[in-house]
Amino acid sequence: MPTLELKIERLERLIGRKLDINELEYDLQWISLDLEDVNEEEQKIKVEYNPNRPDFSSPEGIARALKGYYEVELGLPSYTIIPGDVEMNVDPSVNKVRPYIVCGVIRDIDLDEDEVATLMNIQEQLHWAVGRDRKKVAIGVHDLDKISPPYRYLAVKPDSISFVPLHGDGYPMNLEEILLLHEKGIEYAHILEGKEVYPLLLDSNDEVISFPPIINGILTTVTDDTKNLFLDLTGTDYKAINLALNILSTMLADTGAKIESVKVNYQGDMGQIITPNLDPIKWEVNTDYINDYVGLNLSDSEMIKCFRKVRMDAKKSKKKGYLDIWIPAFRGDIIHPVDFTEECAIGYGYFNLPLTIREGCIGQYHPIESFANKIRTIMIGAGYLEVLNFMLTNTVKNYDYMRKKFKKSEILQIANPVSKEFDTARTALLPKLMETLLFNRSEEKPIRIFEVGDVIQLRPKEETGAIRELHLSAVSYYENSDFTEIRSTLDFIMSSLGYLEKFEIKPGKNTTYIDGRYGEIYMNGKKIGEIGEIHPEVLLNFKLEFPVAALELNLGSLI
Amino acid sequence: MVIKLKKKVIEIFNVLKEKNADYEASELTKELSIDYIVLMSAINDLIDVNLGKFEEDEIFQLSLNEEGISYLKNGLPERQLLNIFLKRNIKEIEIEELLKTSNLESNIFYIGLSNMKKNRWIAQSKATGETKIFLVAEKFPETELEKFLKRFEKKERINYSNLTKKEINQYNILNKRKLITKTKGTQRIISLTEKGKAIKPSEIEELKQVSKITSEMLSSGTWKDYQLKPFDVTKPGPLLKAGKLHPMVKLINEIREIFISLGFTEIRGPIVESAFFNFDALFQPQDHPAREMHDTFYLNNPKTAKLPEKDRVKAVKETHENGGDSGSLGWGYSWDEKIAKKTLLRTHTTATTIRRLAQYYRNNDVPPIKVFSIDRVFRNEKLDKSHLAEFTQIEGIVIGERVTLCDLIGVIKEFYNKIGFEKVITRPGFFPYTEPSMEIAVYYDKLGEWLEMGGSGIFRPEVTYPWGIKNPTRVLAWGLGLERLAMLKYERKDIRDLYINPIKWLRQESY
Repeated sequence: MPTLELKIERLERLIGRKLDINELEYDLQWISLDLEDVNEEEQKIKVEYNPNRPDFSSPEGIARALKGYYEVELGLPSYTIIPGDVEMNVDPSVNKVRPYIVCGVIRDIDLDEDEVATLMNIQEQLHWAVGRDRKKVAIGVHDLDKISPPYRYLAVKPDSISFVPLHGDGYPMNLEEILLLHEKGIEYAHILEGKEVYPLLLDSNDEVISFPPIINGILTTVTDDTKNLFLDLTGTDYKAINLALNILSTMLADTGAKIESVKVNYQGDMGQIITPNLDPIKWEVNTDYINDYVGLNLSDSEMIKCFRKVRMDAKKSKKKGYLDIWIPAFRGDIIHPVDFTEECAIGYGYFNLPLTIREGCIGQYHPIESFANKIRTIMIGAGYLEVLNFMLTNTVKNYDYMRKKFKKSEILQIANPVSKEFDTARTALLPKLMETLLFNRSEEKPIRIFEVGDVIQLRPKEETGAIRELHLSAVSYYENSDFTEIRSTLDFIMSSLGYLEKFEIKPGKNTTYIDGRYGEIYMNGKKIGEIGEIHPEVLLNFKLEFPVAALELNLGSLI
Repeated sequence: MVIKLKKKVIEIFNVLKEKNADYEASELTKELSIDYIVLMSAINDLIDVNLGKFEEDEIFQLSLNEEGISYLKNGLPERQLLNIFLKRNIKEIEIEELLKTSNLESNIFYIGLSNMKKNRWIAQSKATGETKIFLVAEKFPETELEKFLKRFEKKERINYSNLTKKEINQYNILNKRKLITKTKGTQRIISLTEKGKAIKPSEIEELKQVSKITSEMLSSGTWKDYQLKPFDVTKPGPLLKAGKLHPMVKLINEIREIFISLGFTEIRGPIVESAFFNFDALFQPQDHPAREMHDTFYLNNPKTAKLPEKDRVKAVKETHENGGDSGSLGWGYSWDEKIAKKTLLRTHTTATTIRRLAQYYRNNDVPPIKVFSIDRVFRNEKLDKSHLAEFTQIEGIVIGERVTLCDLIGVIKEFYNKIGFEKVITRPGFFPYTEPSMEIAVYYDKLGEWLEMGGSGIFRPEVTYPWGIKNPTRVLAWGLGLERLAMLKYERKDIRDLYINPIKWLRQESY
């Protein structure tokens, strides 16, 4: 989850009232923010916000919500956009690589150190949250006064143009070289992989403004002296770049700067677009629907107040029983009327919601889990201690240590394990019990342990290609453990289940067990398990010092 | 009343009674040649029946040193020298000659000589120019010093405080002659009580003691003649290697009972799951970061899963692309069936919950329906003390007509109260497949803190509509991790302990 550091003093300035850290600690949770950390000394807090609210990626965004919560300011935050003359001409060549661009101009900025840091941070956060790490959206912030309009957005051959990139060595590089050698080029080259042409922003003098989504030119570097900003947002998702532009420009406006629009001239159907467009988006929502969803019975005016508290505007619609609701242009998370139920509940205050109890339904155990518990009771009666292991394992322990052969094509294979410890899932419980003995070698003996749990078996015909199968395995470990003991245990289990007369053991061969002290357990002509004394080589693989008598049963066939 | 005592105790009692004296414990052990522990256990038995007494005092004890002990055996030097006179019938003799013929070491010789003078047994003359000595006494009775020395024949140690004035003088002489040492020590005095002194032998009988009852003793009735040797009941017994449920299973069963008591039915679903049920059916866009490789265990074998009935797949596809019939805008991208067919180890039990929604559709089920699962899920993470790659999720859902957010709060509070958390806060949260969403925090008394303990919400229409669950029928859902709960309950610091089976812990954990 993304996090943000906030200075109390700055929040106070934005909200226009004193804040108490303890009070804030309590209040933030009700507007869906988690307090991660409090620094009383420096009067700073760290909050975690949800990824559906990228507008919370700046103190300004959070202040807007808090103002509503404290009822300092209700309804839509208002912004004025000065119509501007700056133009951006979009060349159709970008359609093949990165089709969309929107722009904005911000005048008369006066950012302190803290606000500059926010500007950098918000870009990072938007790249991540809205931009899918620059794939969908890339943001460029430039010194407006270093470049002359109109600007051009076009796609060019990788080696056709050279410029001095920001954060480079100060030498001109062509686009191909940047992807190969520049730090940011290397990091984001994958976005342009396989493209014949690369996107580029030029001013009227053919000076390079930016090579999106990779790096800006050094020409437009923002410094302490920068007075006016030019914002460019390019990407593959037109909605997303507008959202990011709106979040960025409203944040800057909240610091006291002025927003000026840019004419973005597309060819073809899109034509001229003027951005940023901060017009609120209107929805029509049924009030009964909202009341019924949340479990309240609010009047229209009460509900309108709830929406105004979460910084939306609402009024009675012409349509009876409906509200017209306007959402601010920096909110991208409203895609269904149901999204207003939560907004209404937040405006009402989750802490005010009454709880109601619904009766009905009779609970039922799952037959497999019930059976598993029945087996546990039997095993505990037999004096065995229950253990619990991971289903994840690796081929060395599941097969090699057990002297079992396997074919890669016949076992579950994890495509991308982060650690070698786990590359497959267990097909039997016994190997993990052996590992448990290894881990507990020095404990007081006898050690008698069992596990009831699922193993995974590949079944290509099944829906997901594999099934889970409930197994029981038990081992006895001490100097005198032997076949007779484990056979008695099996007989006890089978008689407890009422199967004493129904199962039989046939002598067999199994590389995990000692020849002549191993048998296969059969019931109704079907093999349901194995029993025997573990082969000395297996014992040594698990560094054990005494014999182990073991059994494993597929419980699926016993239920 | 006849008193019953063990054979050994009676023996010791008889010795004490015969001598009718106080005994120092160490003397008695020597006399009876028994261990001190055996003696003291016997004395304790005597004390129990008020026949014996035992006192312990800090005292100064006198004992002879090596030289003193040799004089006790051979006589003091003066006595040794005197015996030479008497044996050889010497009346007078030159000192030099006596020294040569006495066979005594010269230092002993001179000590003897000087003390003979002190005892006025001999006199000395230089009349003839040579030094001669004469016997002057006729009788040589035991001296006071010799009498005192003899006391050490019976007792190695003598209590200084018991000495008479006369004896103290003698002690001083021995001390001056460096034959005796005085040390601080403990005196353990054993004696009989008045009752012990008065009791008649007929009033004491032998007690027969055994360590266990045999079946023969029971059938013959002779068990009445024996006393069972008592155990030290305060001592812990050896470790019992018994069978026991794993603490996690114990907890799972408790939670299962809570669900059942609240009217929920348990469901189970595949561990190897399709991306379709794990992600797509939850309205997670196919380019969502949570679906990326590093969070999820994708599989190379089996490589692909089958998708459910075509019309449902289409419904999910349309919901992603344009909202379908759910009233949503959708995500506005082109949904790819191939991505949905990928196999993985399920990352949440919600995949199974969705399968239950699918079953609802197929069965034409009627609400209300309440189901739960407590089952394994997988995340591609490196293990450390607070992270697992495999853990257990608890999840409950309610499918109901006109169920509300307030109903959800109701069921959550009921559930968490039953688990043992009295104070529960439900606050706004975010989960991609619920709306509204709620985070659940509980107050944990032991730590005095609010802890995040799960998430909840009402499934988005985009999630339920493809399965025919349409407003006003809705699905309430909540879930939490079992391990968090287990770590609190069992006070473990390392989350891995829950799955690596430290047998010492498993044998001892209380639940």
